[in-house]
Amino acid sequence: MTVTVTWYLVLAAALFSMGAAGVLIRRNALIMFMSIELMLNSVNLTFVAVSKHLGLIEGQVAALFVMVIAAAEVTVGLAIIVAIFRFRSSANVDELSELRG
Amino acid sequence: MQGGAWLPIAFEVVLLVGALAVLLVAVVAGRDRRFWGPAAGLAFAGAALAGVLQWREVSTSGAGLFFTAQGVSFAKSPMVVMDGLSAFGAIVLGLVGFVGFLAAWDLVAKVGRRGPELVSLLLLSLAGLHMMMATPNLVVIFLGLETASISFYVVAGFLRRQKGSAESSFKYFLLGSLASALFLYGVALTFAATGSLTLYGGNSIRDFFSSTIVTQPGILLAGMALMLVGIAFKVSAAPFHQWAPDVYQGAPTGAVGFMAATVKIAGFAALARIFGAGLVSQVDTWTPIVAVLAAVSMVVGTVLALVQSDVKRMLAYSGVAHAGYILTAMTAGVAGVPAMWFYVSTYAFMVVGGFAVLSTVSGSDSSKVPLDDLKGLVKRSPEMGWLMTFVVLGMSGMPFFAGFVAKVFSFVTATAVPAPWPANDHGYLWLVVLGVVMSVVGLAFYFRIIGTMFSTPDDQAELQEAGLPVRFAVIVSAVITVAFGIVPWPLIEAVRDAFPI
Repeated sequence: MTVTVTWYLVLAAALFSMGAAGVLIRRNALIMFMSIELMLNSVNLTFVAVSKHLGLIEGQVAALFVMVIAAAEVTVGLAIIVAIFRFRSSANVDELSELRG
Repeated sequence: MQGGAWLPIAFEVVLLVGALAVLLVAVVAGRDRRFWGPAAGLAFAGAALAGVLQWREVSTSGAGLFFTAQGVSFAKSPMVVMDGLSAFGAIVLGLVGFVGFLAAWDLVAKVGRRGPELVSLLLLSLAGLHMMMATPNLVVIFLGLETASISFYVVAGFLRRQKGSAESSFKYFLLGSLASALFLYGVALTFAATGSLTLYGGNSIRDFFSSTIVTQPGILLAGMALMLVGIAFKVSAAPFHQWAPDVYQGAPTGAVGFMAATVKIAGFAALARIFGAGLVSQVDTWTPIVAVLAAVSMVVGTVLALVQSDVKRMLAYSGVAHAGYILTAMTAGVAGVPAMWFYVSTYAFMVVGGFAVLSTVSGSDSSKVPLDDLKGLVKRSPEMGWLMTFVVLGMSGMPFFAGFVAKVFSFVTATAVPAPWPANDHGYLWLVVLGVVMSVVGLAFYFRIIGTMFSTPDDQAELQEAGLPVRFAVIVSAVITVAFGIVPWPLIEAVRDAFPI
């Protein structure tokens, strides 16, 4: 059985869906944050697989850019979570209910 | 216009240099805002000037694509584009950025030593936002989107000791990153379906559609849908608007206007670029989806704005409704770009002006602005009261205010082009009827704001004097709201050239 590009695309789609489900279902800020990283990395898998399949370099370059963006997002995201954690000592997003109306 | 040309990226260069200059001056000369403030102001004004120069260049020599270095396989992919869309967007972003910066001047005073950081984040975000509309490459659009979004996450949570600000920042971050990831997956799937990341040039997405008949559109449709969802998130179109009220309410009032206005400008420009120009051959596929988004946004935004008790949340939901009216224009495909520009450029000033008034009333670092704060504003401060009345009337779409012209322009555009679904020659007439009904329903909460401002003030309510820059920002916004309502023709003429190539 040969592994074609479709396998990679299906795997990436499955990972992306898991990530999206994680953001929507889980209530712990850090887990939600990890789910977003999972989504970004599944996109990377798609980029690289398609790039290899089509014999183009663009997709691999795009994957590098996405990694940098993901790193920048981690920096800011963790800082925000720490800022909240400091005066709440809980990472449960359901307790963030200051703003409503 | 090839090689060695700085003009196409002048907007970004000026802002990035400005951001660094602000930080450097703050280190060298001192953190007093008198030292670095002029540098920031110059950067915003210079960016707008760069936009004007781009506009002149485009109208004399025509639009241009700008390429990467030769010799690599993607050498044929243009990375920068300078055309009517990007040049007009540069002017609008520069001016709105400048006015929004002035409106944030009191907030800058409140945050004290951290002022330079706040302002350099605003400068960086504006550069990212223009990158979204000045490139034909989908990955660069994503980079611009993230540059702006990550800056805005920090700005929203800038007053991190306030519960509201931190929470707003976190919600913005989580839902914003989710939207970015969705958009990016859309880009990846479009790449998988078409084998290209560029909208124009050799081996582009446009090329692909002109030479290929798509027989199995599944991946392509998924990609287009995900990109549309990502942009709809960023411009807070329903049903992807849930973050907007919380973020607007929690973020420091002095900076909300800047954030809300500039994101909308760039989001709609990117929509026009990707869907109006790049996926122009798929127009029958995506305009019905945009029409549904528009309809849901108008209804959800207007109805939920009616039941709010906080003015910031009210304006956030009104922003959702306005996103719906702007999307109405975009249902005409690329023909809707002028109406989109007219709407978005006048609305952006109303948003900046409206939030600037709120920041003088409730404090620029406040996170909540209950409607009672505006009680008797016209008597307590006639200047702010009347200017806010003009801005709110502009938003409500009363005749003789810019909002009215913008709505009419948008509705006329939506009925000018035949619609694919339901197929007819009158365009999206049902959407326009819904839009008119929702404009009338929306008057209820706009007049609630105005009625509160004209009511009798409580005795103790003493209004603190707003700084001169903030007052100037409010005056400019109100003047633009009124001027383009009475004499809209110059702007209508200008936006007719603000097309993507």
